[in-house]
Amino acid sequence: MLTPDELVGLLAAVAKGDQGAFERLYAATRAKLYGVVLRILRRADLADEVMQDTYLKVWRSAGEFDPRLATPITWMVAIARNRALDLVRKKSETSIEDEPGALDAQWDVANPLERHEMTEQLRRLLVCLDALEAPRRELILLAYLGGFSREQLAAKFAAPVNTVKTWLRRGLVQVRECLGS
Amino acid sequence: MTLVEEPDDRDGQAAEYALGTLEAEERLKVQALMAADPRFAETVRDWERRLGELNALIASIEPPADTWERIKAALFASAPAAARLRVERSLPLASIDRAEVASLRRRLRRWRGATAAITAIAAAFAGVVVVRELRPEILPVQLRPKERVQVVEVTKTVEVPVPSPQPAQYVAVLQRDAASPAFLLTFDLEHRVLTVRTVGAERQRGKSYELWLISANYPTPRSLGVIGTEEFSVRRQLASYDAVTINSATYAVSIEPVGGSPTGVPTGPVVYTGKLIQTTPPGFANQSP
Repeated sequence: MLTPDELVGLLAAVAKGDQGAFERLYAATRAKLYGVVLRILRRADLADEVMQDTYLKVWRSAGEFDPRLATPITWMVAIARNRALDLVRKKSETSIEDEPGALDAQWDVANPLERHEMTEQLRRLLVCLDALEAPRRELILLAYLGGFSREQLAAKFAAPVNTVKTWLRRGLVQVRECLGS
Repeated sequence: MTLVEEPDDRDGQAAEYALGTLEAEERLKVQALMAADPRFAETVRDWERRLGELNALIASIEPPADTWERIKAALFASAPAAARLRVERSLPLASIDRAEVASLRRRLRRWRGATAAITAIAAAFAGVVVVRELRPEILPVQLRPKERVQVVEVTKTVEVPVPSPQPAQYVAVLQRDAASPAFLLTFDLEHRVLTVRTVGAERQRGKSYELWLISANYPTPRSLGVIGTEEFSVRRQLASYDAVTINSATYAVSIEPVGGSPTGVPTGPVVYTGKLIQTTPPGFANQSP
């Protein structure tokens, strides 16, 4: 992965229609974005479609990227996640119970990070998540990393959907207060 | 389903949207609100930024090699693409060839993010989304039932598209009366792709819905194809019509034998009609009706 500054430069070049920069941007970010969407969609064909949609959107919208508001990778991941989520929510038949590889939030956190991926922002976020009482922390991580809906979380945690909603929203408000921004 | 919500709830929805826990319908609604309210959109982006740091916890996986080939093919089918993309926006629609429209078909079928806002705004007229939550100035005044059948008026004649950061979007609500929308058509002017979303039409057992373009330029209705069972379908057939025809035409849906009219003209009753109107996203004040 390139540094955030290098990615900002590539996005600026892409905004001007630089195909070479677009190819370098793809090379630098494809594995991260594919990992993100494959976790949510769990199907290679759908993940492939979302990858195409995402990079077409990146090509067309690179000029809208503002480095003061997001890092390139969080911006691109948000595009990819939103497309994957729109798709998976429409496909309600892709039930989480059918998936043997149902995700485990703990495993994700235990997954060692590459050192340069541990930004100060991530460290602060993890500290704030860690301060949440159970099961709010697990709910938020499963939702973000695995694309779980409220209903899927409710099934996994054997709790009413409305309770899950309350846990999620209170947890998110706590996170924002903890981050202070 | 109650759609009147408190500001607190909207903030919670923004957070949950970014987290990803909302169901499809709620996601559509958030996307419509984002299109209508820049401050709300900013709230969502703030959440995406906060939570987006978690992407570092997700293991990278190499995509198949042909993914890039397909992206390239879709974008740079005929070089030099960058110049071409810009030029296209300033050219008359007729200059966009069918092949290019075809190459975008797949992308647009899944292109919910951008079209969702438009369809959801259209849904507002059907009472699905609370209109007051959307900025009233983006809702065309003309979108009022005038008579029993034709409920959508053309708000302006569309000229050659001007270069813009977002392509102009058009929407038609096909309905029998104001209370029963059946299909939402969204039309991407830049690529001349029409997306059909079935919203209220009942499945017809042993019958098909067929979409027609009715224009003074043609003596008989022109088929745009049978509306499939999938929620979205894209009609490449529009590629052969000019922009004025597309924008002035009436769109109608008839009930036909399975597979469509055997004669090429409607044989069954026309059950829904409507016309395209431009929906003007915020920031496009110069294009307001």
